[in-house]
Amino acid sequence: MPGRCRDCSDAGAGGVPGLIGSSGAGPEAAGRSQAGPGGSRRSSGSMAEAHTEQDGVSGAPAAPRYRAALHPDTWEQELEAIPMFMKRCPAEIDAERQPELACLQSLLFDEERSPAELAGMYKNEGNEYFKEKDYGRAVAAYSEGLRRRCGDAGLDAVLLTNRAAAHFHLGNYRSALNDAIQAKKLKPTHLKAIIRGALCHMELKNFVEAIAWCEEGLQIDSEEKKLVEMRAKADKLKRVQERDARKAKVMESKEQCQKEILLAAIKERNIKLVLEPSDEEEEVSDGLAELSLDGFHSGSATGAKVHLDADGNLSWPVLFLYPEHEQTDFTVAFHENSRFIDHLMVMFAELPPWDLEKKYLPNNLELYFEDEEREEMYEVNPEHTLLQVLQHKRYFVKAGTPTVLVFAKRSPFSKKYFSGKKVHRL
Amino acid sequence: MAADAKEAAAMEEADSDDAAASAALSELTALLSPSSPAAPGAAEAALALSGSASGRALLAGHPAALAALCGLAASASRGSQPALAALVNASSEPAALEPLLPAVPSLAELLPSSGAACGVLANLSRDEAAAPRVLRALGPGAGPLLRALSAERPPEELGALLCNISRVREGRAALLEPSGRALRRLLALVGSPNSASLRRGAVGALRNCCFQHENHERLLSPELDALPLLLLPLAGPEELPEEEMEQLPVDLQYLPPEHRREEEPEIRKMLLETLMLLAATKAGRQQLRRRGSYLVLRELHGWERHPEVLGACQKLIQVLIGDEPEAAMQNLLEVTIPPELQRRLAQMDTEEEEQRRKEQMETAA
Repeated sequence: MPGRCRDCSDAGAGGVPGLIGSSGAGPEAAGRSQAGPGGSRRSSGSMAEAHTEQDGVSGAPAAPRYRAALHPDTWEQELEAIPMFMKRCPAEIDAERQPELACLQSLLFDEERSPAELAGMYKNEGNEYFKEKDYGRAVAAYSEGLRRRCGDAGLDAVLLTNRAAAHFHLGNYRSALNDAIQAKKLKPTHLKAIIRGALCHMELKNFVEAIAWCEEGLQIDSEEKKLVEMRAKADKLKRVQERDARKAKVMESKEQCQKEILLAAIKERNIKLVLEPSDEEEEVSDGLAELSLDGFHSGSATGAKVHLDADGNLSWPVLFLYPEHEQTDFTVAFHENSRFIDHLMVMFAELPPWDLEKKYLPNNLELYFEDEEREEMYEVNPEHTLLQVLQHKRYFVKAGTPTVLVFAKRSPFSKKYFSGKKVHRL
Repeated sequence: MAADAKEAAAMEEADSDDAAASAALSELTALLSPSSPAAPGAAEAALALSGSASGRALLAGHPAALAALCGLAASASRGSQPALAALVNASSEPAALEPLLPAVPSLAELLPSSGAACGVLANLSRDEAAAPRVLRALGPGAGPLLRALSAERPPEELGALLCNISRVREGRAALLEPSGRALRRLLALVGSPNSASLRRGAVGALRNCCFQHENHERLLSPELDALPLLLLPLAGPEELPEEEMEQLPVDLQYLPPEHRREEEPEIRKMLLETLMLLAATKAGRQQLRRRGSYLVLRELHGWERHPEVLGACQKLIQVLIGDEPEAAMQNLLEVTIPPELQRRLAQMDTEEEEQRRKEQMETAA
């Protein structure tokens, strides 16, 4: 605030860089008088202005420099080091660098004052900070007050309660709660501590505890509106929380149950499931059933999973691969009793855009599945149903999604593709 | 117990002469002073005496003995337990009421921790005329009673006491104190898992409070929210479709499979009667309808095997699914029923009862 600075140098006539010369209202009033629109724009020009004025008094001898006068280049920093003009109080006061401040502090927080007096002063300081919403400093001030160990349980309870409030506004609900607990211990009838504690429990979603604290406060004052309202709110939220927990449990067991039924249906059909190797050793030891169930989760990016319908039939997500064109098709629900050819008829009713050679016609396709373990290929009869294919002794469903490879009949590509692999033709 | 009975019988025989018995009791009374080293033994003797009907009559007619027992009971000495137990027995005698009433304040402080003390007061307040006097003896607001109610584990015998005192206006006034703590506590005890007598007492007291429709609004207010707590013991773990589930109060949603209905048919019936009373006002009916009570009752109806409970359930369902009564009859507790109609309704009730009994006989046969 350069405006403020100029004013200050006027007000501080005599150049005494202290507090004694001017009234307490000085800096504030001065600041206000100049702080108009554009005040900040003056920042660079203010010193020059001062010089012009000086120059105006032409012929006069150069103004004498007072002892401890502000240096034209560093006046801003220097001024800020003077307690009265400080924009903010340093967290740690260094007596070497800021002797005035250290002096003031020792005046205020004199060793000779009793701990109770000091604690009271820190409380007031904390309250000032609190009013300004400077909760961090408020916490520090209250802590300082508590460190005086004033021995007055009532005062300590207030300090703790106030610090709890400051912590609360900082979002430190745990610390706030601890202070409220301490305060309540020191002074069990301190309603503010109880209200604060209850508020903390609300924020921490400990509704049962919040209700207990409300009850405790209402024992002291059964009319306290905040507590009556908070208890009602906590009770409501607690009940919703409990319902949510019950619902989650019901849903979980239902899901588990459905999974088991599904798995039984798969097992009953003699369909073999395999999973990608898991990182976690533990999971593997949980047994195949558990593993296979989890397999459905990672089934596919689209979230399609094998599904058991009301008639007891399975539908699978099926992945068609076209290695020649590096294309894929994904069928979300392939009914186990429908045949491959039925799907191909629909899928290739129109030529796919990538099939420039027009080879991929429903009746001109060969289907294969791969036995990855033995690196062998098995040709699939398109007239067969999905179930028949899945029941093949060497078919393993991987990651919950059956996969088939599709080639155009007698294509040179497939010959190349199969080279080196054992192929079981129909 | 057998030894006690024998002793008592022996005493009965020995004291065939009234005067002699009275003299013996006076001697016993002298020993009941808490400072007397023989007090525990004397209290045991009094307890044994109270085991027989004639012994109880004798005690009831001997105010000094009762006063001495009360004094010993209120003391923290070793004899206080048997003295209390003797008082429970003696207080079941109507004649003991007058001599025991002055001693109620000395027993009052024992209520929160002593089931026997609750038992004595429950016995004394069984008579509707005596209940207000017991309450008055408990001091303004029946403080000790409410303290017993808010104890973490109230004694089981408190249930009977609650039920008895709530039959009279003064007792209901004590339970309906403005902070709502007592009502909240009663509502919590409705679901108390460990004690059927506490549940019975709490539900009985709440039902008694509901006979005054002035209390309905408060009970059904969001602050006390009695309805879910009254419905919960009637709700089973049956699975409901989601849209039905959403209609229920949150406390009744997604109950776990291990949730059980109230096991005592008598308490289920009282719960239904309480709900029926709450359904007497328009606002009550509206809340019951709005919050899915019908669904709970429907499931209960499918499950209930006890004919009387089933009857209460059906009546309530009829009120809920029936048309709203005409404007002048919206508060069913205030409708004046002409004597002739009253007589006919009573007759119908009796016939219904008769029918039920017949059916039961037939099924039994």
